[in-house]
Amino acid sequence: MNSQNDENLKELFERFLSAEQAESGVEDIQKAEQILRQHPAPEPDSMLIANIKAEIAMRLPAKRTSTFTKIAYRVAYAAAAIMIITAVSLRTFDMDAPEPGRVQYASIMPTAIWESDDIVTDDVDLAIFTIEIEQIEDELRSLQSGEYISDSDSSLSELEMELVAINNDFWKE
Amino acid sequence: MVNSDDLAQLIIGCKSSDSKCFSQIVDMYASRLYGYFYRLTGNKDLSDELLSELFVKLVEKIASYKGGSFEGWLFRIASNIFHDYLRSKQRRKKLLDVHKEQIESEITEQNKSGNEQIDLLEIQLKRMDADTRELIMLRFYSQLSFKEIAKMRSEPIGTTLAKLHRGLKKLRELMQ
Repeated sequence: MNSQNDENLKELFERFLSAEQAESGVEDIQKAEQILRQHPAPEPDSMLIANIKAEIAMRLPAKRTSTFTKIAYRVAYAAAAIMIITAVSLRTFDMDAPEPGRVQYASIMPTAIWESDDIVTDDVDLAIFTIEIEQIEDELRSLQSGEYISDSDSSLSELEMELVAINNDFWKE
Repeated sequence: MVNSDDLAQLIIGCKSSDSKCFSQIVDMYASRLYGYFYRLTGNKDLSDELLSELFVKLVEKIASYKGGSFEGWLFRIASNIFHDYLRSKQRRKKLLDVHKEQIESEITEQNKSGNEQIDLLEIQLKRMDADTRELIMLRFYSQLSFKEIAKMRSEPIGTTLAKLHRGLKKLRELMQ
């Protein structure tokens, strides 16, 4: 592809100069370029070209490794982030927080509901979801206030299991 | 000369880290790029170094090539590498040493036979200002149109045309 072949030098010069000056300008350029063609620069050494090709070949697998390493790092970061969030969430449930649940049920809200356009179905889903969360909140409050008579350790475990089950159901949708 | 479809295929291959495609690109452009560097530095060792650096950059940057004139893109990298080279203090010192050596050997070179014409052009090019010399070499070796060169240099096409016309006219006079 030679872009110079596509341009009309005379036409280009005529945009800035008179027709006569344009013709002279084209001639100046063509003759000077002829001089450059008559005085070629030395060619690159064949050993240099071989070395360049070898260096490129050497760098390519390294590039792939580097891309792979980057992906591996990203996956590791994501996994670490998930683990930290899970640990913090579990700790929050274990602690005697005065208002548990509010932030957490917002964070486990399925993306499908946020992104869906089906308002009627989503409303029903959200209503069921909210009722279940409210029930859990009530149970938690009962536990905190000591109203619950049953064994508190097993009740907490049941609650946790219930939360996990609700979360899983929603993600399946 | 490879057609634009074949070139596009080669570039796709390069983007997939295919060393054979890179080798073909090297074969296609090494001579012109080497000429560009050689005419700007007047030194074979430096031109070797800059050409190697350019192809290393090509491997690193090929993913960022988004279409358009490949020659324009490649010579823009070449031009940046040359300017980086000029900016480097150590290398500038080396260049000054090279210039000094060239001036000292100027009279001897003029009397040489065989490569006399090559040396004469080199001497006359050194008499021109750096920007005009670079513009002439960019036009000659990249084979880009004035429109593409003006775009690359971020200047109006009339400015590029006038500078190059003046420069080539002067070079012609110096060579006569």
